[in-house]
Amino acid sequence: MPAHPHPAAHLPEHPAYFPVPGAHLYTVLHEAPHPIARVLLVGPFASERHNTYIPWVRWARFLAERNIEVLRYDYRGIGESTGDFQSLTFDDWSEDIQLLSTFLAARTPEAPLVLHGLSMGAVLAGRAFDQCIANALLMWSPPINANLALRATLTRWVGLEQIFKFGAVRRSVSDYIRELEQGLPLEVDGYQWSTKLWQDSFAFAIPEALLSDQITSDANGRPVNITRLGKEAAPLGKGGSVGYDDLKDFAWLFQPQFDWIAGAATKSIHREQHASGH
Amino acid sequence: MLQAIDTRELISLDILGYCLRGTFHRPAGDTSVSWSLPASALNRAPGGPAVLFLNSLALPRAAAGDSAVYWADAFALRGYPTFRFDLPGLGDSDGHASTDLLDVINTGGLAPATAAIAKELVGRGGYSSIILVGHCAGAVTAIFAAAAFKKCKGLILLDPYFHLPVINRPETRKKLSDWARRSTLGKFLSNLYDRARHLWLLLRGSTLPRNANTALLGKWKELSAAGIPVLLFQAARIKAQVGKPRVGEFDYTQHISKLAARKNNLAVKPIDRADHSFANRAGREVVRDESLAFLANNFPLPNTTSRTK
Repeated sequence: MPAHPHPAAHLPEHPAYFPVPGAHLYTVLHEAPHPIARVLLVGPFASERHNTYIPWVRWARFLAERNIEVLRYDYRGIGESTGDFQSLTFDDWSEDIQLLSTFLAARTPEAPLVLHGLSMGAVLAGRAFDQCIANALLMWSPPINANLALRATLTRWVGLEQIFKFGAVRRSVSDYIRELEQGLPLEVDGYQWSTKLWQDSFAFAIPEALLSDQITSDANGRPVNITRLGKEAAPLGKGGSVGYDDLKDFAWLFQPQFDWIAGAATKSIHREQHASGH
Repeated sequence: MLQAIDTRELISLDILGYCLRGTFHRPAGDTSVSWSLPASALNRAPGGPAVLFLNSLALPRAAAGDSAVYWADAFALRGYPTFRFDLPGLGDSDGHASTDLLDVINTGGLAPATAAIAKELVGRGGYSSIILVGHCAGAVTAIFAAAAFKKCKGLILLDPYFHLPVINRPETRKKLSDWARRSTLGKFLSNLYDRARHLWLLLRGSTLPRNANTALLGKWKELSAAGIPVLLFQAARIKAQVGKPRVGEFDYTQHISKLAARKNNLAVKPIDRADHSFANRAGREVVRDESLAFLANNFPLPNTTSRTK
């Protein structure tokens, strides 16, 4: 078999369907024998999923190899999950996180639960964390609200569209936004965006208290970390192209982020012990 | 947690030392078929064809806009057992794709794993043949793999390419192209450049360009000689008429059509409303309908009366 390094000796990975109302979520559990923490990965949204898939899987494996149990999944209506994308709402995708968090927390209750979201996933994770469903929160490139995440996707898509178009046929991002605001659905990279999705995205925001770049913990003392990813982290950060940037080595990013998760888990355990009087 | 739902099952195969993960779209009318059953139980209706989707470059097996899921659902609904697998290092499968993935693909590096998957499906599922579906780089792998495994009896190819990438295209050239797309003068100069290239092409006659993927064309020739049915989709291209290359570019479609002419088993379907991903609604619907017709004509199911129409 040419050009492939030896298969990595990965820990057990279990793809499975997780039932939610009206659909099945595609999940992959990266098992760790005696986990020091459990992480629910809330990944990029819609077409961004495909561009970031390889580094996202590698991140899950990186954590599992360091004794952190990871559950990653596809949003309802996206990727391998079932469901009709255009009829789904942010409430549905929020419910996904709540149900999966409950499942993951029940597996090894003694290990702290960390929510980790990227871009749109950070918005969803941030809001879920605010409802006290995890012990720590890690956000990569969180936008203030879901609309900014959608705009970033739209801008990238329009950029690609323009490569194939000349002169007057080329349409700008604002042309498409105008159509959406006039009630016309927009097909972005194969996903039908509804006007409702666009309108709802403005109000679907990360709680303000979690958005300061200086933040280290929330009002309850739970660890919080925000990491802004630049172009060097593409396609996890801005830009990048499939088949090139997604195959890079991300150890420079993964190692310090793992260190933070391990530290946050330790802090959480100490807090729990302190609270219970041990 | 479930391994299977009504229409799909999550499966894995040990191929060349890798655990490869995929999705089995159960054929309609026989959704009790489970890959987890013993081979003897699975192999209860031997003789029919199965469809296997491949990754497009580094995309996961769902493909852009989940188009592969959409097509696989449609094929299974029509009664075709359909599989989507992540090749080594891609999607959820084991392995570590190298940074020169495109070179690996263009030299047929993913074909052994693809052929081994197809062989395993035939061996375990009792299928008479496998039809490979590949998009862009996945189409390149499909051609190499079909030549490597005789029971790959059909191909559905979306925007395959038969050339090797030009290495180190200067940054200034990229900027110039972008400027040409935006300005009127740029467009004029770009057209002039295309005409000059066209003239050069006429002078060269039918000689292949220097960056033609001759190994791939060799495999195409083998498949054409064997008379393997191929359905080839072409999306709209920049500065090109439907089904034609851009002025000044070598017409690979014409070239491969000539190679396939003797057996006449190649159908080319240009789709002017599809972009290269074929994920947009217009593109995916045409691909679905034409592919189903292609399957019905060339690979009829053993007992079509029991299938959902």
